[in-house]
Amino acid sequence: MAASIGTAVRIGLAIVWAWAGLAKISDPQAAAQAVRVYRILPEALVKPFGYGLPFLELALALLLLVGLGTRIAAALSAVLLLVYIASIASVWARGISIDCGCFGGGGSVAASQTQYWQEILRDCGFLLLAGWLIRHPRTRLSLDGWLAA
Amino acid sequence: MSTKNDVGKRSARERMQEERAREEVAARKKRKLAVILTALVVIAAAVVIGIVVQNGRTSSYNAGTDAPGGTVGNTRLLVPVGGTAAPSTVTIYEDPRCPACEQFETGMRATINQLLAQGKIQIQYHIASFIDRHDGGKGSKNAANALACAQNVGRFHDYHDVLYANQPQETVDAWADRSILISLAKQVPGLDSPGFEACVNNNSYGSWVTAVQSDFDKSGYNSTPTVLLNGTPAYPTYNSQDISPANFTAWVDNANKGKPLASMPSASAEALASPTAHNNPPASASGGHS
Repeated sequence: MAASIGTAVRIGLAIVWAWAGLAKISDPQAAAQAVRVYRILPEALVKPFGYGLPFLELALALLLLVGLGTRIAAALSAVLLLVYIASIASVWARGISIDCGCFGGGGSVAASQTQYWQEILRDCGFLLLAGWLIRHPRTRLSLDGWLAA
Repeated sequence: MSTKNDVGKRSARERMQEERAREEVAARKKRKLAVILTALVVIAAAVVIGIVVQNGRTSSYNAGTDAPGGTVGNTRLLVPVGGTAAPSTVTIYEDPRCPACEQFETGMRATINQLLAQGKIQIQYHIASFIDRHDGGKGSKNAANALACAQNVGRFHDYHDVLYANQPQETVDAWADRSILISLAKQVPGLDSPGFEACVNNNSYGSWVTAVQSDFDKSGYNSTPTVLLNGTPAYPTYNSQDISPANFTAWVDNANKGKPLASMPSASAEALASPTAHNNPPASASGGHS
């Protein structure tokens, strides 16, 4: 039973990461700006993170989709989500108005357009998925299962 | 004798089983480690390849060859309008698709053109193009490129005013269709030409447009219009006074106190002072895009 639920959770989280990653790769300049407006990283690191993060998300999506290294992929997903949540909270606390750029877009927005609550709650939901997979990494239809057999 | 032998046999068997179990545990551990390593390698490879690919995709900009003629600044990202000797500099960041910019232009155009004609101000335009990111589409970038094409033949300011007078709604990406930008160019005398049309259609100043936007991204200003009077934000307020034609003129006059005004070629000044049309003096720095 847990293995079947696990499969659904794993595929679900894979879709989230794939969607997040794909939405950010078409316009590298916009992806860099989405990172820059958090005003956390120095300018020298803005582009590497803006360019690299979408591919980290895509790699996690791929691993989760095929079920290879489910536990490590889920653990890294959780770490990444915690970093995202902390970054959004930090921006919020500093009174900066941005779109989180979680699924493409990003950049500055009018103060009335911010959606920090929704963005953080959404990421917490994804964090639950990752947490489930860390606890129950054995899922049906996975490469992990196939390798262990 | 016999019991001793039995014990020996059993313990041998047990030892073998234990040995096998140990080997299995070791093999499973090894496999787990291999899976984790594979996962980490996949992630590292994806990130490295991603950074390299995205770096390669961002167009490189060379100020010497990629900027339209007559642009200024150390990387030639600014479009100057008006006499360079004018005592006050107005810096304007605008996105062609930005509705607030259109409102600013509609409300302030006559005033600004008058101040230009009187030699009181010079303008430095930053043509941003980030609305394409927010709303999707290509209209801002296409229009910014077309403005660069107009700048290259000394018709930036007229064309700029025509575009704002004919701006589509923000969410309607009409300027994704470059032929609309070309047909609007026909409203500016002397602008439309086969060369101009090719420049618009081939996105000839695409890397300049990207570089200007990148510069805006790093500027710390995060919305358009951003208007600076001698470096101090003047939109929507300046020293906590709201912007208006009368206030703006007063701010400029106040800033210019005791400073000589720039003289403009009289034809240009006359054209600027007229409410409908004006001419940007043809770009003195020739060459530009090769």
